[in-house]
Amino acid sequence: MSPLTTLWVLPLAGAGACLLAGRLGRGAARLCALAAAASFLAAALLALLPCLAAGGAAVFAEGGRTWAFGISYRLAADGLSLSLIALTAFLTLVCVAASWTLDVSAGYWACFLALASAATGVFLARDLFLFYVFWEATLVPMFFLIGLWGSENRRRAAVKFFLFTFAGSLLMLLALLALVTARHAASGEWTWDLESLKGTPLGPAAPWVFLGLLLGFGVKIPIVPLHSWLADAHTEAPAAGSVMLAGVMLKMGLYGLLRVSFPLMPGLTAAWAPTLAALAAVNAIYGALCAMAQADLKRLIAYSSIAHMGFCLFGAASGTSQGLAGSALQMINHGLTTGALFLLVGFLYQRAHRRGLSDFGELAVRAPWLSFFFGFATLASIGLPGLNGFVGEFLCLAGIARSAPPVFAAAGVLGVTLSAAYALPAYQAVFWAPAGPGSASAFVADLDAREKAILWLLCGLMLWIGLAPAGWVAFLEPSLRGLVR
Amino acid sequence: MTISSAVWTIAGTLFALGLAMLVLRRGLLAMFLGVELMLAAANLAVVRQAGLRADAQAQAAVALILAVAAAEAVVGLSLILRAFRAGRGLDAGAMSELRG
Amino acid sequence: MSHVAVPLEAWLLFAAPVAALLIGFFLMRPLAPEKTHWPILLSCAVVTAASLSLAGQVLAGRSFDVNVWRWAAVEGWGVDFGLRVDGPGAAVLAMVAVVGSLIHLYAAGYMKGDPGFSRFFLVFHLFFLAMIGLLTANNYVQLYLFWELVGLASYLLVGHWFHKASARRAALQAFLVNRVGDFGFLLALLLLLARYKVARFHLLYLLVAAGRHEMLPVIAGLLIWAACAKSAQWPLYFWLPDAMEGPTPTSALMHAATMVTAGVFLLVRSWPLIAAVPGLPVVVAWIGAFTALAAALIAGTRKDLKRILAYSTVSHLGLMMLALGLGRVGAAIFHLVVHGFFKAALFLCAGNVAHALRQPTASVDEVGGWGRAMPLTYASFVVAALSLAGVWPLAGFFSKDAIVDAAWERGGLLAAAALLVCAGSAFYIFRMLLLTFHGARPEQKGLAAHPHEAGPGLAAPPLFLALGAAAAGALGPTGSRLVFSGLRGLPVGRLGGDLVLNLPGDPALPAFSWTTALLSAAFAAAGAAAAYRLTMADPGWDWRWRGGRAEAVLASDFGWTTLMARLAAAVAALAGFVGRVLDRAWWDGLLESGAAAARGAGGLAARAADGRLNDYLWWMTAGAAVLLAGALR
Repeated sequence: MSPLTTLWVLPLAGAGACLLAGRLGRGAARLCALAAAASFLAAALLALLPCLAAGGAAVFAEGGRTWAFGISYRLAADGLSLSLIALTAFLTLVCVAASWTLDVSAGYWACFLALASAATGVFLARDLFLFYVFWEATLVPMFFLIGLWGSENRRRAAVKFFLFTFAGSLLMLLALLALVTARHAASGEWTWDLESLKGTPLGPAAPWVFLGLLLGFGVKIPIVPLHSWLADAHTEAPAAGSVMLAGVMLKMGLYGLLRVSFPLMPGLTAAWAPTLAALAAVNAIYGALCAMAQADLKRLIAYSSIAHMGFCLFGAASGTSQGLAGSALQMINHGLTTGALFLLVGFLYQRAHRRGLSDFGELAVRAPWLSFFFGFATLASIGLPGLNGFVGEFLCLAGIARSAPPVFAAAGVLGVTLSAAYALPAYQAVFWAPAGPGSASAFVADLDAREKAILWLLCGLMLWIGLAPAGWVAFLEPSLRGLVR
Repeated sequence: MTISSAVWTIAGTLFALGLAMLVLRRGLLAMFLGVELMLAAANLAVVRQAGLRADAQAQAAVALILAVAAAEAVVGLSLILRAFRAGRGLDAGAMSELRG
Repeated sequence: MSHVAVPLEAWLLFAAPVAALLIGFFLMRPLAPEKTHWPILLSCAVVTAASLSLAGQVLAGRSFDVNVWRWAAVEGWGVDFGLRVDGPGAAVLAMVAVVGSLIHLYAAGYMKGDPGFSRFFLVFHLFFLAMIGLLTANNYVQLYLFWELVGLASYLLVGHWFHKASARRAALQAFLVNRVGDFGFLLALLLLLARYKVARFHLLYLLVAAGRHEMLPVIAGLLIWAACAKSAQWPLYFWLPDAMEGPTPTSALMHAATMVTAGVFLLVRSWPLIAAVPGLPVVVAWIGAFTALAAALIAGTRKDLKRILAYSTVSHLGLMMLALGLGRVGAAIFHLVVHGFFKAALFLCAGNVAHALRQPTASVDEVGGWGRAMPLTYASFVVAALSLAGVWPLAGFFSKDAIVDAAWERGGLLAAAALLVCAGSAFYIFRMLLLTFHGARPEQKGLAAHPHEAGPGLAAPPLFLALGAAAAGALGPTGSRLVFSGLRGLPVGRLGGDLVLNLPGDPALPAFSWTTALLSAAFAAAGAAAAYRLTMADPGWDWRWRGGRAEAVLASDFGWTTLMARLAAAVAALAGFVGRVLDRAWWDGLLESGAAAARGAGGLAARAADGRLNDYLWWMTAGAAVLLAGALR
């Protein structure tokens, strides 16, 4: 089987194998999931090697079978796609490892692998119909993850998540249909191929098509005001589910902008850039302000995700090479940092079954390693230089400072300033403040070896990207050169 | 008044009466009678047309309508009987849900 | 590439602390936490030797500015990290190394028995490393990196005793206020990169000198804002007095000698940019003068020993800003170095006093007449206090005189302010000296506590620092040569080459002038006399004037701290509104009401399909009639 197809089929086959292994018992399903995730990560890294050797500029394409209405099976991978696939694979393995002690049925593991498969498909697809199919396919496993294995309000959160993102995707489908129809009207042929659709004359419908795509991708990114599903979904999802949601699914939205919207309509992209930058500013500041008001740890991190994706959007809207590279890098950073934070909250919740800010206290004394890693991840999240968050935010803002009036950069920096205002009081409340009478701190034992290993891996990557980002940026930048204005 | 207009008037009146019975009555048998009346009225109109045109196909149509009415009577009455035997009564207004 | 080799000492400056931190964190902390300080003290020694050696090299003319590593780069744009060791940097680095090492030694004794001993030392040394990185940075991005790291270390150290609510609050306040200042730094950095394409100091100096001035007022203004936060100038100074919640070694090293001077150092590095904007240096001078005067006044009224010293630090930082604003870069750096010595000595003495009471800090109510019981501490304090007050021939005299001279040359209100600050400094430090170490007053409980010296580990370092505070004056000429060796007489390099560059600014320390020397001595004497009168001749005065409106106003720094508290509460209220009302209740509620509306509409529509046969028949009839009418038309 051709390599790129293997990449997305492998986790799907793993999901099926997990379901089958579930017949033998929960332990068997778990082992099968670990094996599948590990082999998927190996495959993703192997696929990364030739691209690394070529300096990130190579593009590998395959497929080409065309069916009715010009729908074809076309996959391609460049530096950006392979990095995101590697991130997906890594996070899947991390999720499997982090959920190791949970007593869950085989479906749980299958959902993660199916989600990974569908996300990989999104990152690989170059035919827009195929892209849409994979895009929608990510909703189903996530729906089940939230709805079946989540917290108290899981049903409601799952339905809200599904309806919201589905509505956005329908708008995206409408826009894609309009695009393909316009292409048919102009040249007489039906095609859904991304490359062929570039430069389609759209006439007066062009802004609507761009808006439809923006709304579809914007629900996923999420762009305020389309963000309302995120807080509930994150709060109710199981911890590992939140990691995949934040680490993989949010990236799909921005990836869609970079891969589909911007290359298809470069003129409109330039015209809409100030609007996008303004939306990014709103994201950064609104997300930070909302996060300051939260009393639930997961909700707080969810709103901080919104703020971080605002920085990614700054970079994407800037149209400069450092902004775009920063946007891509920040996608990876956010997956690692927010993933680590959600995992830590998950570990807390597993022990204490609560996650409110006022439910703990003095954990720095009782659980020093938990406290250390949580502090590390928090500092990365608020953009402390030397850790990965700063590099991404810095490059994105440097990009927007170059191509937009300074007020946008100022708004971005304000977002960075406010991030300390929501993160540090929360850290203090959980780890430093004395434990109140109803506190659950007594139940919180420190991390065990498996959990520490996972977090050392994540924190090590954060430190690496923060101190030596040159290699990472150099790998991501060539894929985005075509978008530089 | 010509025969045609008389036939049309009687057929129309019968049809209207049948429709009224179907729509306004709540008893199943009464609604059923209304349906039969509508069919008979339509049949009457077709008979008149057949007579006017001396068309064999029209006469065949009459026979078909009679057969359809008979078949429909069988099926409908057996359903009504079934429903009655199952204790559902004969009131269409009370039967708003399928049960079991 | 570069034909200037980076000397070994520069690598050691970083390698030693990093090694000490790794050994401390991975080996000592799990195995023998009470011995965490051993690798760290060793590293301090190495760093001190290296920095003194580098200072010697700079004095001999071998400054350098070399890129060592590519941090991030895209097509046509990149940020490199490198090392810049020139006059100002080497001078401050030498001070930081010596003072820092002595305070590390002191901390080993002071923090003994503290449950967080290991954590304290690791964070303390992280701060030390960050400060070294800040002083040797050769571009703004690298400086920002270490600047924020220093802020992080400050947060962790002020909040060291985190079970205390006041410490938590102070740590958070310190970090957030510094972050507000960093808004300026980061934005300035982004604008510099956007408009000038480079962040490296010497390239920017060349560009600005060549006439490129786009957005320079904004950029320079933002950098001044950042310096005001870090160096505790008005309006962002108020975090510093509260930061005294941290252990004394923290206060001595960070909030007196080194971290707070980072702001002044930033302005020194940015001076060509600031000086290129007409009218901006005067703003700096006024901020400095105003802060110096107000802080000196407030310092004279505080009762907590560490807080008196904190306000004194704010005041002296103001003096440094004043010197900078008047264009005397050299005088500012000279005072920075000397201040580091005497302020650290004073803080360590205050720490000894508190340690004798077995408390984290001491108030004038709890001491009194301790001069005889703690002779070594007393001696260190006296020398350092005299240096602070600017008494000849101690170092403080020379550094303060340089600033007063510059102000006098300027004339007007700034000169008056400088002289009044002299008087104020002498007043508050003599008040502190006399209240703590001389003649117990009935309001004080001093002698009942039976104080005694804690031991060589705590008594020796302040002694050495005081010696430094005294002797730096003897090193005056050498010191100024060091500071200015990077400033003149060296060739201007080509753009893009790794060569040393001149830092514009007035190269020489002002020549000694009898007028200013006598004036400042007179004002200082007046201040000291007032202190004597109000503490020894009228012992109860310090307690009598309290309790009224005046004290309330002074306690809240003329209302500024209350204003800032209200501002912070307003921001929190805004966040609460946005997060809870706007987002959750209004917007989310609106969307969910959409769902509710859909459900309602569905319910309405469902009524048409209620399962009743007769209704269906009506609908069928109506529909058939409509279709028939349409067909027959």
